[in-house]
Amino acid sequence: MTEPRSSILQGTLDLMVLKTLEQMGPLHGYGIARRIEQVGQQALIVNQGTIYLCLVRLLQKRWISSKWGTSENNRKAKFYAITKAGRAQLKAETENWERISGVIGRVLQPESGS
Amino acid sequence: MRASFYSLLARLRGFVRPAVGDADFDHELEHHLAIAEEEKVRRGLSPEEARRQARLELGGVTQLREAARAARGLPWLETFWLDGKLGWRMLRRSWGLTLVGGLAMAVTIGLGASLFTIWDTFAGMRLPIDEGDRVVAIQPFAPASQRVRMTTPLADFRRWRETLRSVEYVSAMRPIDAEVITRNGAVGPVRAAEMTPSAFQLARVQPLLGRALIDRDARVGAEPVAVIGYDLWQSTFASDPAVISQRIEIAGTPHTIVGVMPDGFRFPVNQRLWLPLRIDPVGEEPPDSDVFVFGRLVPGATLDRAQSEVGALGLLRSDAVARTPADLTPRVVPYAAGFFPEVYANSWATGLIFLLGALLLIPPCANIAILVYARTVTRRQEFAARTALGAGRGRIVMQLFVEVLVLATGAGIIGFLLAQQFSGRLSRVMVMGPGTLPFWMDFRPSLPTVLCVVGLSVLAAAIAGGVPAWHATGQWRLSGFSGLASRGPGAQLGKTWITLLATQVALTLAILPSATEMVWGIFRPAIVGPGLPVEQFLTSSLVMEGDTSRFETLRVEAVRQLRADVGIAGATVSATVPLEERFADIEVEEGETSGIQARFNSVDDQFFEVFGARLLAGRRFEAGDFGPGQTPVIVNRSFITEILGGPPSQGPGEAGGHGLGRRVRYRDTAQTRYAAPPSGAHEIVGVVEDFPGDNDGPMMFHPMTPVHPVTVTVRAASGIALAAARLRAITSGLDSRLRLGELRTLDDIYWQRRSADQTFGFVLGAVIAIVFLFSMAGLYTLMTFIVARRWREIGVRLALGAQPRRLLGGIFGRALVPLTIGASVGCALALRLHSWLPIAEAGGQRIPGIVPISAALVIGVGLLAVAGPARRAIRVDPTEALRVG
Repeated sequence: MTEPRSSILQGTLDLMVLKTLEQMGPLHGYGIARRIEQVGQQALIVNQGTIYLCLVRLLQKRWISSKWGTSENNRKAKFYAITKAGRAQLKAETENWERISGVIGRVLQPESGS
Repeated sequence: MRASFYSLLARLRGFVRPAVGDADFDHELEHHLAIAEEEKVRRGLSPEEARRQARLELGGVTQLREAARAARGLPWLETFWLDGKLGWRMLRRSWGLTLVGGLAMAVTIGLGASLFTIWDTFAGMRLPIDEGDRVVAIQPFAPASQRVRMTTPLADFRRWRETLRSVEYVSAMRPIDAEVITRNGAVGPVRAAEMTPSAFQLARVQPLLGRALIDRDARVGAEPVAVIGYDLWQSTFASDPAVISQRIEIAGTPHTIVGVMPDGFRFPVNQRLWLPLRIDPVGEEPPDSDVFVFGRLVPGATLDRAQSEVGALGLLRSDAVARTPADLTPRVVPYAAGFFPEVYANSWATGLIFLLGALLLIPPCANIAILVYARTVTRRQEFAARTALGAGRGRIVMQLFVEVLVLATGAGIIGFLLAQQFSGRLSRVMVMGPGTLPFWMDFRPSLPTVLCVVGLSVLAAAIAGGVPAWHATGQWRLSGFSGLASRGPGAQLGKTWITLLATQVALTLAILPSATEMVWGIFRPAIVGPGLPVEQFLTSSLVMEGDTSRFETLRVEAVRQLRADVGIAGATVSATVPLEERFADIEVEEGETSGIQARFNSVDDQFFEVFGARLLAGRRFEAGDFGPGQTPVIVNRSFITEILGGPPSQGPGEAGGHGLGRRVRYRDTAQTRYAAPPSGAHEIVGVVEDFPGDNDGPMMFHPMTPVHPVTVTVRAASGIALAAARLRAITSGLDSRLRLGELRTLDDIYWQRRSADQTFGFVLGAVIAIVFLFSMAGLYTLMTFIVARRWREIGVRLALGAQPRRLLGGIFGRALVPLTIGASVGCALALRLHSWLPIAEAGGQRIPGIVPISAALVIGVGLLAVAGPARRAIRVDPTEALRVG
C-alpha cells in the first residue's frame, strides 16, 4: 500500500524542485529546501535530506546540472540549475499535473444543478 | 527513454567509481549543515541549538548517505558481485565439489547446447541464397500415413515443369558420387549432382569462371560438360584460370569443364561438381530414374497457392508410366524441409528432443544439489550469524544460488567450448554421416546458442543451488533460526536423498560394464592398434600423362621393382584407395534383391598377402582370374554375416561355406552407374577376414583388369620415409610421364574414418565417468554429513569410553545402506543389460568378467569414499567436540 503513495510523492517532489529552479535560477540544496517550505507556507513539511536524493535522480536524468560555487554568505556550496531537457520535462509534467488535478477536482466537486 | 538511458549511464559510473560520488555527497551535506546552522544562528538560536535543529531537519546523515549511494549505483549488482566473490572463495575452499560439479555441469551444458544448436539449425531451415525462403521442394506425400517420398518420377516432373504457374524454374536433380579422373590423376569420389540447368537460374548465383549449365547441355546427344566447384578448382586444378575447356573423365566418359562456381556454392545439397541432367522429353524412363524436384515461387505467389496448383495437377497414376502408389499426392514444402520431412512434420517433436536434452541437466544437478545441501547444513553457524545481522531467508537463498551460479558460469563457458567442438561432429553422426551436411546447415554455435548456454547455466544453478538452499532454510524456518548456531542434530539427509544415492549407485553399476565395453571397443584401436599396422602402409594414385598405351606394362614393371626393393615389404595395386572404397547397390541371386549395399574394389593377386588378410574359405585370386570374361569375387566376413546371413563368429570353414558359389551382381541405379563397378554376375570364390579388424560393412573384391589410373599401396619394410623415397624413385625412373599423386599413409585414412566413432566414444566415456564420480562423491558427502551431524555425539561416546570400532559400525551402517542396496540392484541390472545389449554388433568389445570387475570397482571405491570421513570421526577429540558442540 505504501508504494503508490511514495511514488506520487517522489514525482511531486521532482516537479517542485524543477519548478523552483526554473523560477529562482541556480540554487544550492538548502536554498531549494527553504524555498519549497516557504511556498508551501509550512503546510508542506519536506525532509531536507530527501531533496538531495531527488537532486541525485534529476542529475542522473540530465534534467538539472550542478556546479560548485560560493553562496551569498560566502560559503562553498553546490549549485543546481535546470537544463533545457529539464524545462521540457517540467512543461510536460506541469500539463500532466494540471490535467490530472483538474479531473480529480471535478470528481471531488459536489454535483451542481441537481 | 533518453532520460532512462542517461540515468543508467550515471548509475553505471557510480557503480564503477563509488568513492567519487560518496566524497562529493559528504561535502555537500557538510556545507548544507553549515549554511543551515549559520542561518539559524542569525535568527537568534544558540550555536548548539542551531546545529541540533539543522541536523534534525536534514534527517539521519548515515541513512541519507546509504540511500544516496544506492540511488547513484546499482545496488542489486553490488550485492550480486559480493555474493559472486564469496561464491568464488567457497568454490576454492570446496575444490572437490568444484571439480566434480563443474565437470559434470560443463559436459551436460555442452551436450545440451550441442543439441540446441542442432535443433536450432533444423528448426530455422533457410537457404542462404537470394530469397532462399521462396525456394520450395515438390514431392509425393501420403496424407493418411504421413509418408513422404523425396523423389518423384520423371514423368511427373516433366508435367509440372510445363504446367505450373505459381512456381518458376521447376528443376530436378539427382545426387551422385562421381569418380573423377583429371590429367593429373584420380581425384577420387566427388559429390556431384545431375541437375537441370534451370537450377542455376533458380539459385541466382553467377559462376566465377566460364558459364553455368545451359539448356543446350541437357539435350540428348549434347557434348558432355561439367561445372566444377571452387574447392575442386582450388585443390585439383591449383586455381588455374585456364581450367575452362579442360577435359576430365567422369565414370569413364570425357567431360569438358565449362564453368567454375564461386566459393561456398554447394547447391543443391553439398555438391562440388554439376553435370546436366538429361531428360528425354518423350523417351522411356530408365529404372531408378526418380528425381528430387524443386523450384522458386513466382513473385506474389504463396506456398498455399502453389500447393493448391500442384495438388490440382496431382501425380500420374498409371503404373506403367509413374509407378506411383495411389495414396500419394504431391505437396509443396520449403526447400530444406524436402530433405528433412520428419523435422518439418514434427517440429514440436524435435523441440521435445531438445527439451529432453535439457533434462539431462537434472541428474548431475540433483547430485550437486545433494552436495550443496549437505554443505549448507554444515554452514549453519555462518547463516545464523547472517540471520542475526538481519538477512532474510530470500537473501540467504540468493547467496547460495549465486555461489552455485559462479560454478555454473564457469561450467557454461567450458560447455560452450565443448558445444563448439561437438555440435558439428554430433550432427554429422546423427544426421547423415561424415562430410555430407547440406550447405544451408551451419552447426557452429551462434547467439541463440550463447543464450541457451546462459539459460542452462542459470537453470543448473537454480536446481543445484537454489532448491537445496530453499529446502534447508525452510527447515530452519520451521525449527526457528535461533537453533542454527548449535551444532547438534538438525536438518537431515532424508529418505529422498538416500534413495537418490542408492538409485545412482545402481545405475552406475548397471551401465558401467556395457558402457566400458563400448568405449573399449571404440578406443581399443587407438590403444592397441587397429589389428593392421596402418602406419606402415603408403598409398598413392599412379597416373600417366599423355598417351597411356604403355601404362599397363609400366605399371607391372613398377610393381615388380617395388616388390624386389629392400625398403618395401610388399606392394599391391587396386582400382580404389584401400579403406576409401565406394558403395554400390547389389543384389544376390536367390537372395536379397534390393536395399543392400556393399563396398567394392578391384585388386591384384598380391592384395590380400600385402594386407595379411586371412583366408576363411575358398581360394585367393589365381592367374586365370585376371583374364577377360572372368567374374570371380572374394568377399569379406561381414559380407557373409550381414548379407548372406552367415554365422557371425564361427570358424573359417563354416563362415565361408555359407557364401561360396553364390552369385552377386550390381544393380543399375544412378549411384551405381557413377561408381562404375564391374558388370555381370560375380561368383563368390573366396572369403577373407575383415581387415582392419574393426572394418565395418560388407566388401567385395574383384580381380583387377587393366585400367588407368591405379592406386599403388606399399608396405614399408623399415621406415615410411624410405618407402616413400623408393616409391618415387622407382616410378620416375621407369618413365618421366609416370606420376605419383599425393602420398598418404593408411594411418591418416583410417583415423579420419573413425573420427565420428571416437566423438561418440568420448561423449559416452565422459558420461560414464561423471555418473561414476557422482555416485562416489555422493557417498563421500553422505558420510561427511553424518559425521558432521553426529560430531558431538561421537565426542560424548568416545569420552565415555566407547570402542572406536563399534562406533564406526554405527556410523558406517547408515552410509552403507545406499551402497549395499545400490550395488545389489545394480549387479542384477548389469547382468541383464550386459546379456541383452548387442555390444559387439554396435562396435563394442567384450571384456571377460566385466560385470564382477565393475561391481568390485564400485563397491571398492564406494568403501574408500566413506572411509575418509569415518577415519576423521574416530579421531574426534572429545573435549574439542564437547566445547564446540
